[in-house]
Amino acid sequence: MSADAILSFTNVSFTYRGDWLQRVHALKQVDLTVPRGSAFGFLGANGAGKSTSIKLVMGLLHGHQGDIRLFGQPLGDHRLRASIGYLPEHPYFYDNLAVGEYLAYMARLSGLAPAAIPAAIDRVCQLLDLADLKKRMLGSFSKGMRQRFGLAQAIIHQPDLLVLDEPFSGLDPLWRARFREVMALERKRGATLCFSTHILSDVEDLCDHYGVIDHGVVLEQGRLEDLVKQAPLVLTGSGPMPSAAMGNHDGTWRWQFPEAEREKNLAALPAGAQILRLERNRIGLEDYFVARVKAFHAAGKRLDAPAGAAS
Amino acid sequence: MIAVIAWATCREAVRSRTFLLLLAVYLLGVLMSRIVGWISATDGNVITTDVVFSLQSIMGVLVAVATGTALVHIEIQQKTLYTVLSRPLPRWQFVLGKYLGLCLALVAGQVAMLIIGLIYLAATGAPVHYWLLIAGLLTIVEVLVMAAVSLCWTALSSPLLAAVLGLATYALGHAVHSLPGLVHHLHGTQQTIAIVLASLVPDLGQFAYRNEAVYRTPIALDDLFMRLVYGGLWCALLVVITVAVVRRKQL
Repeated sequence: MSADAILSFTNVSFTYRGDWLQRVHALKQVDLTVPRGSAFGFLGANGAGKSTSIKLVMGLLHGHQGDIRLFGQPLGDHRLRASIGYLPEHPYFYDNLAVGEYLAYMARLSGLAPAAIPAAIDRVCQLLDLADLKKRMLGSFSKGMRQRFGLAQAIIHQPDLLVLDEPFSGLDPLWRARFREVMALERKRGATLCFSTHILSDVEDLCDHYGVIDHGVVLEQGRLEDLVKQAPLVLTGSGPMPSAAMGNHDGTWRWQFPEAEREKNLAALPAGAQILRLERNRIGLEDYFVARVKAFHAAGKRLDAPAGAAS
Repeated sequence: MIAVIAWATCREAVRSRTFLLLLAVYLLGVLMSRIVGWISATDGNVITTDVVFSLQSIMGVLVAVATGTALVHIEIQQKTLYTVLSRPLPRWQFVLGKYLGLCLALVAGQVAMLIIGLIYLAATGAPVHYWLLIAGLLTIVEVLVMAAVSLCWTALSSPLLAAVLGLATYALGHAVHSLPGLVHHLHGTQQTIAIVLASLVPDLGQFAYRNEAVYRTPIALDDLFMRLVYGGLWCALLVVITVAVVRRKQL
């Protein structure tokens, strides 16, 4: 475990009884580190083990093997959760409580002083456009509104660690952008951000660290910049075309190659060729991910982290 | 923390449709109770009083079962408890807060029913006396025991099954009251088994003072005290069982 880890899993396994009491291995010897002050994106397909990991941290599941540490302390003391804000996946709230009432309830449970609660409610309502809805009952909220409210209740006590399970689920593009802003603001405030998603671009936009889980096994984790390097480069140019490039309709050409071949290929450009753009192919990154997961399934074992990846 | 949870639970419960609907049904039943009094062959006032107090008990138990069974299991199904239990509080505080909040709501409902019932009886010329208040108090304790029963069943099973088991416990709870009069018909092991099984269910007959109260049959103070203690102990036992179950629950 890294000394500056706000959350760490060391050799954590978790098994539960599924239908017909069948044993389901949800997590298998997971090692994971969320550095303090980072924005950590937890990637994985549905059912990969993201929510299970989060629920273990939040004390909603118990009985794991291995060591989970929160703020450097072993999991178990409920008081540690005072500094965590949590947005569950597909959140649902009491139908017959109003927005303001529920936020006050959450603030009190988080240990906020009664005198500080009205200001905290105003702050989060303003951030998430809930100011006009304070007296509205939560039972009347749509999925997207519940998600907004979910984020509001998670940040009301200005936690040190913000754990968000699929925070962008059910949001329209405008609110996805707004959520990103709010999460960036929280990070700027000093909070560590840890969220799960199965959408890589969310991680690329917000995170500096990432972890990938599949079938309860952490495939890789590390700095995002190391991951991004795995995405191929796309060079768009004009003039004489390299033999490996493909022509575009507008007379320009496009050449895709791995990061490792950057220097060699740039030096090998034909004389007179002009570089218009050199950028990473994000679709290529998605492909890289799919390839990694497929390789994992094919090998039937844990994969090594990509070259240069370190937490 | 417990008080915070209890207050939120109470607010949520008293605003629920089930709660308000059953209160409305009680009002309707009370208004119709006089008709039963008119058509009865005996003293109409006695019958009206009996109906009003029985309605308070039945409606209270229905509210307790309906709201109590929703308390834990539906919270798990709808994941409403995720945001609560992720706060710095142990699960026992959550369960206790939930139960106390439900109790607050039920007591509020029961007091409202008692006041409405007594006003109605007074307005219709039926005698209103001190013993009716004692009957009302014991009915409230019965409802609180039933709330604890529902809470316990909902932690152990699904909401629907918990509701069925809750109502079955209510019926059994009243049936076991007559057991001492019947148990002498059994012998040996049968008698022991019957007594042991009966002791697994709260004797709700302890709180059914309604019929005696109507006829102004007095209840001794120490007897009343023992019945209240009996109710309190059952509530405590059931809440402890619920806590033990919920603490182990995977959410």
